[in-house]
Amino acid sequence: MKRLLTIVIWVAVALLGAGALSAIAFRRGEPLNAMWFVIAAVCSYAVAYRLYSAFVAARLLALDDTRATPSERRDDGRDFVPTNKWVLFGHHFAAIAGPGPLVGPTLAAQFGYLPGTLWLIAGAALAGCVQDFIILFCSIRRDGKSLGQMAREEISSRGGLIAQLAVLAIMIILLGVIALVIVNALKASPWATFTLLMTIVIALMLGVYLRFLRPGRVLEASLIGLALVLFVVVAGRWVGDSPSWSHVFTLSGVALAFALIIYGYIASTLPVWLLLAPRDYLIAFIKAGAFFILAAGILIVRPPVLMPPLTRFIDGTGPIFAGKIFPFCFITIACGAISGFHSLISSGTTPKMILRESHARFIGYGAMLLESFVGVMAMVAACSMTPGVYFAINSPASIVGGTPEAAAATISGWGFPLTAQTMTDLARLVGEKTLLNRAGGAPSLAVGMAQIFSSTIGGERLLSIWYHFAIMFEALFVLTVLDGGTRVGRFMVQEFGGRLWKPFARTGWLPGIFMSSAIVVGAWGFFLYQGVVDPLGGINSLWPLFGISNQLLAAVALVVATTILLKMGRTRWIWVTLVPTAWLITVTMTASYQKIFDSNPRIGFLSYAKALAAQIAAGEVPAAKIVETQRLIFNQRLDAGVTAVLAVMVIVLIVEAIVQWYSILSRRREPVLHESPYVATQWAPDFSGAAHGDD
Amino acid sequence: MHRASKITSRFLRRFWRGLREWSGDSAYERYLRSTSAKGGASGTLTAEEFYVERLNRHYSRPNRCC
Repeated sequence: MKRLLTIVIWVAVALLGAGALSAIAFRRGEPLNAMWFVIAAVCSYAVAYRLYSAFVAARLLALDDTRATPSERRDDGRDFVPTNKWVLFGHHFAAIAGPGPLVGPTLAAQFGYLPGTLWLIAGAALAGCVQDFIILFCSIRRDGKSLGQMAREEISSRGGLIAQLAVLAIMIILLGVIALVIVNALKASPWATFTLLMTIVIALMLGVYLRFLRPGRVLEASLIGLALVLFVVVAGRWVGDSPSWSHVFTLSGVALAFALIIYGYIASTLPVWLLLAPRDYLIAFIKAGAFFILAAGILIVRPPVLMPPLTRFIDGTGPIFAGKIFPFCFITIACGAISGFHSLISSGTTPKMILRESHARFIGYGAMLLESFVGVMAMVAACSMTPGVYFAINSPASIVGGTPEAAAATISGWGFPLTAQTMTDLARLVGEKTLLNRAGGAPSLAVGMAQIFSSTIGGERLLSIWYHFAIMFEALFVLTVLDGGTRVGRFMVQEFGGRLWKPFARTGWLPGIFMSSAIVVGAWGFFLYQGVVDPLGGINSLWPLFGISNQLLAAVALVVATTILLKMGRTRWIWVTLVPTAWLITVTMTASYQKIFDSNPRIGFLSYAKALAAQIAAGEVPAAKIVETQRLIFNQRLDAGVTAVLAVMVIVLIVEAIVQWYSILSRRREPVLHESPYVATQWAPDFSGAAHGDD
Repeated sequence: MHRASKITSRFLRRFWRGLREWSGDSAYERYLRSTSAKGGASGTLTAEEFYVERLNRHYSRPNRCC
């Protein structure tokens, strides 16, 4: 009877989800309510978790709770720490959820709400969660080894090197792109710039507090910091309203880019206790709070989704970034559907802390479902604002014009009615001078979030506070990735450099620290600067480059997973990883080819370089602009080169893996798995990971 | 009523413990209970040493995604 009831409940959940998905896909005319998105996503996730993840856990991985995990065998209270599954879920989610699932869906909304939403839900359930889950499992079985180490052991030493190089390259591109997102959010905004600067000062104060006054008292320091951050968000308005202070904190894009480059360099060389760690403590609570308020706001306000399901820009002429729905929707939304970067977390800290193998399903698969839900909420926030406003905020001046009147005329001409007054009023309400030409997704997401928040608490009166809270949250979020990523990149550069010259690898050697930090900051700073001065808005070139590289890393992770599963004899179920791998390779290779060779200068790097060179040759470029244009030509060629190198690296890895697969399947060679030997667990079945003795 | 308050206080205790663990507030207490602190050749670290050492390790590998 109980079993029958369970079946009935799950059939009802599946039918509800299918109904909501049908409404999203087929409803035309009246704007759809955001609740349909929430129902479709939650029901799809529930069914995917209950059925598909259970299938993967039982048939493909055969999770074994009698086997001691690394946290039990190597418990050292530092890296290897047995951790309660709910706590570890929180850790893992906090690590994987960055600004990507917020920005990607916001940008992809230019195609309409439908393609992005479907990709977020299906991509996560069938690819992203599978990748995170299986890589976590593989790392648990190998004492928490990293993706690069697993690629080296299970595929080849060349495969391992390629994976490590790919990680470094992706990190550099990622840092340049997300820094551009901050620059576009803070440009000419004294309120937001002041607030972000103050969060750094607060973090430094907390760093001293936690190091010398109350070592390790993270919770009390976080609460003090949180109160101070909320205060500076409000205080930012006074700075914005003061003519003299407002002038000090009004910075151009180039000035902000250099400020971030200097910040990245200093932050990555300072002791971590002083800035990075306390700033992370701050963002942990702000992030949890912002996600919770956004979800609650959507449930309470239930805003209508004003964006059409598909826009005219599916043909590749989008103003925010050029390119057709295939492949560009699927690389624009990377995090939220599938992100290769997650495989670094799944083969990093989490496998060293997991209590039992069965928890990998909840943590690996479940946390990614939650990240996908964050992506769906970002999509709802972007699509619930008037489409004309969305395009005005996100389109570069070279396409829609630099004045409210010009932007309103262009965007209305596309079929999205907009008046200049609407943009002027909106900018005034959120406390900004202008909201035009803020490509990058952060300001439009902040407007969307602020409209939902203010509909819940405070109304129009608090719109400016909510907007700047959202901007601060996004910018602080990005800073955590920027300085933490620069530091990790520094270690990678030192490791590679150490192969050529041993002293370089010593992490405590000051000249090595300064040089490697300069290399990493210089590399991402270059991408950032080229984005800031790019007349097409920077995001048009750089976000697809980031998406391609992130998805290529996902392909690497899935190739490693497929190789391990084949060695484990799971040939029958290999489609679970092989199908997403094939999809990702198709998407990324098509996108790489188009970004390099497409004849449309807004898509192809080389054709843009060629068009600029032709303009110089024809004498159409003023003498004062020739050097700048030549620099643009160089940047486009470099972007084409970077894309090609990444694609070739992944092709080499795939060929290496296919050779392995062939020898395994044809039984030419006995497969050798590099798993740690089986050790039976000594823990009681009900041990939940609470600190020993206090459960 | 008594049962409800017992369940609530148990829930709150667990929540508080989970929050401290998640935030890293109880990391040193956990370290003191671990085998390496009890039997480590280099002696037990002080709270301050442990805090700095833990952070240095944490920030030397990818710990934040995009």
